[in-house]
Amino acid sequence: MDTVIKIDKLQKKFGKFEALKDVSFEVKKGEVVGFIGPNGAGKSTTIRVLLGILKRSGGSVEVFGKDAWDDEIEIHKRLSYVPGDVALWGNMTGGEIIDLFIKLHGGAKRNKRDELIKKFELDPKKKAKNYSKGNRQKVGLIAALSVDSDLYILDEPTSGLDPLMEAVFQEEIEQLKNEGKSILLSSHILSEVERLADRVVIIREGVVVEQGTLDEMRHLTRSNVILQTTGDLSVFKNMTGVYDFQQKGKELSFSIDHEHINDLLKVAATMPMDKFEIVPPTLEALFITHYENDEA
Amino acid sequence: MNRNFALWEYLFIQYLKRDWKKIVFWIVGLGLFCGGFIPFFEEIAKGDGLLGMYETMQNPAMISIVGPTPISDPQAYTIGAMYSNEMLLFCGLFAFIISAMHVVGHTRREEDLGLQELIRSFRVGREANALAVMVETVLINLVLALFVCGLMVSFNLTGIDVTGSLLFGLSIAMLGIVGAVVGLLMAQVMSTSAGAIGGSIALLIVLYIVRATTDISNVSLSMMNPLGWGYLTYPFVENNWLPIVYALVFSIVGIFVAFVLESKRDMQDGYIPQFEGKAHASKRMLSVPGMFWRITRGTNIAWLIGFAVMGAAYGSVYADMQSFLNSNEMMQQMFTVQGISIEVSFTATIMFVVQGLAIILPIVMLNKLYNEERRGHLSQVYSTKVSRNQIYWSVIGIAICLSVFANLAGSFGLGGMAIASMSKSTMTFIDFIGAGFNYFAVFLFFIGLGGLCIGYAPKLGKLLYLYLGYSFMVSYFLNLLDLPEWVNQTSALNWMNRVPMESFNVSAFLIVGAIGIVMMILGAIGYHRRDLHEGV
Repeated sequence: MDTVIKIDKLQKKFGKFEALKDVSFEVKKGEVVGFIGPNGAGKSTTIRVLLGILKRSGGSVEVFGKDAWDDEIEIHKRLSYVPGDVALWGNMTGGEIIDLFIKLHGGAKRNKRDELIKKFELDPKKKAKNYSKGNRQKVGLIAALSVDSDLYILDEPTSGLDPLMEAVFQEEIEQLKNEGKSILLSSHILSEVERLADRVVIIREGVVVEQGTLDEMRHLTRSNVILQTTGDLSVFKNMTGVYDFQQKGKELSFSIDHEHINDLLKVAATMPMDKFEIVPPTLEALFITHYENDEA
Repeated sequence: MNRNFALWEYLFIQYLKRDWKKIVFWIVGLGLFCGGFIPFFEEIAKGDGLLGMYETMQNPAMISIVGPTPISDPQAYTIGAMYSNEMLLFCGLFAFIISAMHVVGHTRREEDLGLQELIRSFRVGREANALAVMVETVLINLVLALFVCGLMVSFNLTGIDVTGSLLFGLSIAMLGIVGAVVGLLMAQVMSTSAGAIGGSIALLIVLYIVRATTDISNVSLSMMNPLGWGYLTYPFVENNWLPIVYALVFSIVGIFVAFVLESKRDMQDGYIPQFEGKAHASKRMLSVPGMFWRITRGTNIAWLIGFAVMGAAYGSVYADMQSFLNSNEMMQQMFTVQGISIEVSFTATIMFVVQGLAIILPIVMLNKLYNEERRGHLSQVYSTKVSRNQIYWSVIGIAICLSVFANLAGSFGLGGMAIASMSKSTMTFIDFIGAGFNYFAVFLFFIGLGGLCIGYAPKLGKLLYLYLGYSFMVSYFLNLLDLPEWVNQTSALNWMNRVPMESFNVSAFLIVGAIGIVMMILGAIGYHRRDLHEGV
């Protein structure tokens, strides 16, 4: 089976409020999909519907080809989930909770638990009520990564982790990716998504507004150009596809539509260049441009 | 259907492991309370004690508090009959509250925290957690029943037989189970755990007061009251097992309904609609006291209404009481000794119940300050120019205002309803207000204690409930047990004279009130100096 998650025209209403209006996307086997959007856009709601915790109001949601609500238990056997704010029983130790979660999932990969506890530098003997936010998050991550699953649903999994631990997390995810596991990663740390995700789904106000590979998305937008030349600067200003033109002495900065980059290169090649940089848009820039455009 | 409960047995065993300390404390603590008072009662029963107590227990005021006895022949009032008459209802209430709180704490609360979301992401059925918690709670209650039974039998007294003891224990356990079911139902209906606990306790209070009136007017109506299914078994007297059956049926139906409700709702959602709030703060809440009032407004108003309703419910007993006495000449003589009318003695007894409960409200308010501090909600307030003094005195000020209102709400409800329902009365409305106001110094005392806790040992703030509960118990047993005077004096509720039966003691009122105010000031000093406990 190729498609792991298949969401089609998903809707979810809370009373009169429409949290999800039209959400459709897929996650294929072995794919890491970044799921991004502003606060309140419906990311966590979508994930909870996927988990069979919320019942959808319309559309269809399939995981491993099974209905997310009706066959939740079958689905959950092959799935691991980490929420953005891991809540724990205060009077149990981290180690006890990890063991419980592993058991509830149905069995761990050998030694993986202890290896992860070491890697994430978690003290498993502490009571959960004494853990900081980051340490609670580690408990959730260790439990989820210790088991053998085919699908990992991660809802802002690294919130509260320090950069070193975030690096450990990224390593683990890359390893899973290499093993051919599917991952749905919702995150606000866009550099993380950029690094890990094969495809990105952007949701806004309960609607999926954009999806595709990062490259595809970049094609839809502009790259930033910085150049410094002793030649004629005004040529660039009047080129088609150039926006946000700014001049500071001999240095220019502007953005340019993807289809006009060739034109730019031709012109630039005829001039003596002191500096010439083309930076593809970061996901962050994509994200921001997207919303600015939408609001306009 | 089975799929909905997948892995419940694993959760169940896990929960027993997780909760075992609490469970031991619960069973032994509540068990000793339920079964361990027998030696005291043995003392009372000596000589003419049983006869005297039988007469005391015929007083409608006592019936409204502890429930009736089916015995009409005073000679048949054995120690077992007395024990179940005086203890069973109260023990049942405790079992109810503890079970309801346990169930809500492990269902709705864990849902609110997001813990259940994580649990549900495993191959765990939708209802598995609820079932595991219910089975755990039922089991705890059944063990409790056996413990109580064993404890009572171990005293080896004639009149305390095995059958009666078992029924006594089971009656308590059944109320615990009913409490668990009510908690589970509330957990589905309400949208927060605080709402579910509040709803369960509010329902309990309503049931308690309703049964007070039906016990006096028509006991058979009490049989329709879930609380009645506890004490109407009349252990050691009639050994009536029928109420246990009612409770069982209710519990099974209730659990089934709760499961259906749960399966039909979204996680973290309830059945009571939530309304949109305002986008802007109203001017009134833009101050330190305004802020504290705003965050506690809902609960405060609910409590105040609750006190007024409670007072009114007890007030409605007065009419029943009069007709009850008019129908029985001997009783009439018994209760109008020394020129004190039945209304007066009833008011004196019931007022401590009403006002003792009303003291909960300022305690809730004071504990709110520490809760907010601990959760870090006030971090952003502490970092402004608002001083700790302002915060402290705002909370104390609101607590004092709430005390005034709570005090009046109880007295108004009681007095208003009593005057309205009685055909002729020896008491005026002012008598009721005065009898209530008598306890105001005790309110101040408790606020002072709360202030000391906030200032020096905020973690101990929760113990105020315990001390209030203890004071309540001691005052409650004042008429029932022959406790030594020094024990009676450990209850703050006993420091005031029982007005209107006794006269208002001005010096006691002033001294207790002044001690309260001094403690508030000391608390302010401590609060100014201590470390704040954020995120503890």
